[in-house]
Amino acid sequence: MTNSLLFGIATFVYFFAMVLYVSYLAFRSEMLGKVASRSMLGGVVVETAAIGMRWYESYQMGIGRAPLTNLYESLAFFAWTFAVIYLVLERKFKIRTVGAFVAPFPFLIMAYAALNPNDIQPLVPALKSNWLISHVVSCFVGYAAFAVSFGVSILYLFKAGSEKRSPKSAGSFWDFLPSSSGLDEIGYKTIAIGFPLLTIGIVTGAFWANVAWGTYWSWDPKETWSLIVWLIYAAYLHARITRGWRGKRAAILSIVGFAATIFCYLGVNLILSGLHSYGSAS
Amino acid sequence: MSADEPVKTAKTEGTDWIATIWNFLTSLKLVVILLLILSALSIAGTVIEQNKPLQEYYRYYQPGTVALFSKLGLFDMYHSWWFVACLSLLALNITACTMDRYRGIMAGMRKRNLILDEKLSKSLQNLTTIRYALPLDAVEKKMVELAGKEFPGKPVVTAAEEGGSHYFFEKGKYSRLAFFMTHLSILIIFLGALIGSFFGYKGYVNIFEGETVSQVETRAGKIQNLNFQVKCNTFNAEFYASGMPMDYRSDLSILQNGKEVVRKTIRVNDPLTFEGVTFYQSSYGGQPDQVAIEAVSRDGSVKGTVTAPFGRVVDIPGMAEEVEAADYQEHFHLPDGSEGGRAVGVNIYPAKGGAPAGVWLLVNDPEYDKRRGGDTYFRVRDLKLKKYTGLQVNRDPGEILVWLGSILLIAGIMIAFFMSHKKLWISLRTDNKGRSELTIGGTANKNRDAFAREMEQMIQSLKEVS
Repeated sequence: MTNSLLFGIATFVYFFAMVLYVSYLAFRSEMLGKVASRSMLGGVVVETAAIGMRWYESYQMGIGRAPLTNLYESLAFFAWTFAVIYLVLERKFKIRTVGAFVAPFPFLIMAYAALNPNDIQPLVPALKSNWLISHVVSCFVGYAAFAVSFGVSILYLFKAGSEKRSPKSAGSFWDFLPSSSGLDEIGYKTIAIGFPLLTIGIVTGAFWANVAWGTYWSWDPKETWSLIVWLIYAAYLHARITRGWRGKRAAILSIVGFAATIFCYLGVNLILSGLHSYGSAS
Repeated sequence: MSADEPVKTAKTEGTDWIATIWNFLTSLKLVVILLLILSALSIAGTVIEQNKPLQEYYRYYQPGTVALFSKLGLFDMYHSWWFVACLSLLALNITACTMDRYRGIMAGMRKRNLILDEKLSKSLQNLTTIRYALPLDAVEKKMVELAGKEFPGKPVVTAAEEGGSHYFFEKGKYSRLAFFMTHLSILIIFLGALIGSFFGYKGYVNIFEGETVSQVETRAGKIQNLNFQVKCNTFNAEFYASGMPMDYRSDLSILQNGKEVVRKTIRVNDPLTFEGVTFYQSSYGGQPDQVAIEAVSRDGSVKGTVTAPFGRVVDIPGMAEEVEAADYQEHFHLPDGSEGGRAVGVNIYPAKGGAPAGVWLLVNDPEYDKRRGGDTYFRVRDLKLKKYTGLQVNRDPGEILVWLGSILLIAGIMIAFFMSHKKLWISLRTDNKGRSELTIGGTANKNRDAFAREMEQMIQSLKEVS
């Protein structure tokens, strides 16, 4: 089907973008950097077409639903959100050098998605809801922002380490990266973007659960893990804003937060059981 | 949460124990540690499955472990005393912090320093003075127009002693209230959840097609009377060709004094609410209405047939035995683990009296009972099912508070992160050489980098005034 072909091409373009971002960091050529960003954008364009095509094809099959409802579609959409949010933040904060740490994700996620069955299945009754799109989109944009913060935080740890070892290393590789204080600030700002979105994601999820199952909170593993992620970032924000936690401690908390995010997204589905184990709802 | 703004927490001196407790409750260390402890504890409840029947735990854990976990409340940990204690401490902490911050926030909203005096000037990093050859009133007009783009409200104007005027602009004053929104919203959500658990109930009811109920059984095992009756007119389940469920629908009527007041077809994502009680499509099933049972001898000749109403012991004409269709399973598990489809559990009462023999008769495998041996076996000739719809029934008077709190929380977080209280001071005077002199400076309580850029732009356009 056309959508599978397009998803395949998008995966390939993301791979290409990843290689370019890494070589940009290795060779420090502005030209390479520009091409890297453009390729990532190209990947997004192709994948947008793929998602649109899959949506359209679902209507042709008489199923007609948003392509957000099984693991394959979820991963593909996650890769898409990831790439879009990264590009937006790259532009906003001028952090192309972070690309080498963040750009592999869309490719890796797409590659992992390809291992899962990708046929278009109709929806079970529980998923037939207008809340589906707002819930999934707000969660994923939040996750993607956390992912960028994760990449920035890792870079921060490297950079801060190098600054400590040799404070004046003009012209070295590390000099090419943004200053550690700049990275620290961006790490925080991306979380400040992700946190409200995660909150919206949890609230829309609770509202939907209440409509579908008659309970807005049932301590289901997915719900609980989203709360854990929320609590970790809430702790991060309190520590940073009111206690002035910056630098290494903030970066580590951001990394822990993203590890919890990934577990919330994938670990819960693959390891634990609950309401989100796709296809067995209700 | 006020981003970028250092917070001074009033540390009360002294050994007074109330002060010690207060300092503990308002300390930010407590917040951060509580949030991290709550998340760490919550993990346990996702690893150990919650609220399963006790015998299931014995399959996974050693008996000693089960006893220990059960004692610690780990099988229902989100309602255990220690988890609730942590949540209560969080609520107390939020309340104390809100009280602690109240005065500071209110003071920050008060209009102070309407005049760009010497002391204020020293504290402003972006203080700039511009001189013009224009008359003062022309500069004022342009200045108010330019500043008005960023600060839409009317400025507070104070006449200066030495001639000229001071202008005070401000914006986003109420964004300081975001702290209350985010923190009180959590308390409101907690309150909603408490009200729901004390004054609400969650129950369950099965209603057969055409039948009416006026009470439900709650999760706590109590019978809850409704102020009205619910009738299930029809139930329908549709499936895709692949066998996946497509749609579950119950056509329900609400009756009061025997009269229908509401009628609605509910689906999985579309419940029915009446007088604060909500009915959710949750499950469905069937129960035999009548079962036609045949007794067959080994050679294949039918010895007798009876149509047995479900749950009633009946004679088989021409035979001494009695039968009762007593049980039913939609998906019968065969001893080898495979699925046997629909099965009726039948009690056969022997002719000479005594305990009945219970047998399962498979609808799709009429010869199944033959394996029991003996010279007679039984089979189901016909099965008439009554369908029922399974409804989850909720009353939750606290729900509205939960949604109110959620909206307040989202709005508060948005305001906290993306809005700030900005102040701008401008003073205009004529200097000793007769030129118009404009001095400008401003502050923001958050997002200072962005505000610094805005200020730069404004100063640049003020410089271009001619």
